[in-house]
Amino acid sequence: MLPEGYHIAMDALILFSHGSLLCGAGEALEAHAGRLRRRGDYSVVEIGYMNYSVPTFPEAVARCKDAGATRIVVLPFFLVPGYFVSKSLPEHVDAVRPHYPQIEFVIADAIGFDERLADALIESANHPLGPDAWRDDLTAAARGCRANPECPLYATPSCPRVPEPGTPVRIAVE
Amino acid sequence: MPKTALVVMVHGSPRPASNKEMFRVVDVIKARQAFDIVEVGFMECNEPTIKDALDSCAAQGASDVTAVPYFLHTGTHVADDLPTLLDEAQARHPNIKFSMGRYLGASETVTEVLADRAAAVRG
Repeated sequence: MLPEGYHIAMDALILFSHGSLLCGAGEALEAHAGRLRRRGDYSVVEIGYMNYSVPTFPEAVARCKDAGATRIVVLPFFLVPGYFVSKSLPEHVDAVRPHYPQIEFVIADAIGFDERLADALIESANHPLGPDAWRDDLTAAARGCRANPECPLYATPSCPRVPEPGTPVRIAVE
Repeated sequence: MPKTALVVMVHGSPRPASNKEMFRVVDVIKARQAFDIVEVGFMECNEPTIKDALDSCAAQGASDVTAVPYFLHTGTHVADDLPTLLDEAQARHPNIKFSMGRYLGASETVTEVLADRAAAVRG
């Protein structure tokens, strides 16, 4: 136990994302968060959403604090530094900052330009999917079903919770 | 000589400057010379449209066209709208083979870029 006023420096990372009404839309981001955790550069890696999805950004900050973070790097999961990154993100950080005077917040850049994105796109094109697989991400959406009536798939044949009468469920969820 | 084409499918933005970084990435793809033809097509707001980009590949004599979504998330665009555009292109050009790659956000390479963006401000 350290004397009062002393803290062990601990960096946490929050991936800041827009959020989506479509169930399963967070799957790629969760995979990135998982890989960043396995890299071990940060004691804590959380996702914080702005809208629709959970955990919310304030919830993510609370989790980092509970884990003992003294500094939080907020990383925008956005392609470009548009409105959400340049305006909304600083506002979200400013809103939580007064509640955590002991934590330093640092905001990272959006993805922007990177040569490796070109390699990623070429790699993707080198493993092309035929027409049968073009809508596989709809099934992935069903996998992340939150039974949210606002989801664009709700009550469509792609929704595992509320299939249309007589429609076989495409994916069974637990 | 059969030609290969890559179409980068982009959401588009009312603020054209938002496409600046994407165009730089596409310039790198062109410099890699992995495809005979490289085109950009936009869903909304900007031109050419994805339909026009796909048709342009056909007009340039492509035999294989692979379209890759420049999207981070599987929204309904990636999951449904883009496949529909490819279905329609396939119907217009039955002699060309159309395929689709996984969206950019699904790539593990993006994790590396994210790690670097975070490390840059960590000091």
